[in-house]
Amino acid sequence: MEGGIRAWKGMVAHGPPESGMAYFSPAANAEEIVGLAWSLEEGSRLFYQGVSEHFSDDPEAGKMFEGLVSAEKNHEKHLLETYETLTGTQPDFVGLRERFQDSLSGAVMEGGIKVKEALDWAKDKGVAESLELAMAMEVNAYDLYIKMSRAVEDKQAQEIFKKLSAEEQVHLEKLAWLLERRV
Amino acid sequence: MGVLDYFKSIPTMSADEARKFLAGKNPDEYNLVDVRQPMEYEGDHLPGANLIPMAELKDRIKEIDPDKPTVVY
Repeated sequence: MEGGIRAWKGMVAHGPPESGMAYFSPAANAEEIVGLAWSLEEGSRLFYQGVSEHFSDDPEAGKMFEGLVSAEKNHEKHLLETYETLTGTQPDFVGLRERFQDSLSGAVMEGGIKVKEALDWAKDKGVAESLELAMAMEVNAYDLYIKMSRAVEDKQAQEIFKKLSAEEQVHLEKLAWLLERRV
Repeated sequence: MGVLDYFKSIPTMSADEARKFLAGKNPDEYNLVDVRQPMEYEGDHLPGANLIPMAELKDRIKEIDPDKPTVVY
């Protein structure tokens, strides 16, 4: 690519190659991955929900973030559908919660950021800054899901990561479009 | 790899062409390789890029699928 990354005007991810990968074990099975990924989506949904409440006096921004809450809900739904299609069963969330108590509380969102810390940061920020944080979080999740699809050994788990990265790509395009409108 | 391979011209893409190329494809369909140093990669990198620093390319060449187009930066 001419000019290297300095010429690149698109989105970039941050962190070392293994960033976020410790969260998912390469030997994890499809069920564990769905459980952990679902929890991260839940964290992102809680973040968007919290941010939408920051903009109660800005109906357009509030509606925008509520739209992102719905997108995360759809993402969670698609994740479960993918799992069911691949395995013919539903994930055992009760069993997963017992095994991954710390990870499955919805306290961490995509990109490995703590929801509470992100909401504290965002509370006195404008729409554009909150969207930029959302994009940074989603682009790191996109980066992670692509790398995990290559790193995991389980074929079903690979398919789930491919599906997740494809959905993140669509989500990022939507965020970029929203950011363009508000800047 | 033969001597003549050293004389092959390698097509290059502008950053804009690369962005369009990557946006229209599934990450499975191409190799995206970052040949910079780990610290540079850590600072920022294209999503999904595989870090293979220039000095390690020879030893890790098998990580690049020759049947797929490759974008290097």
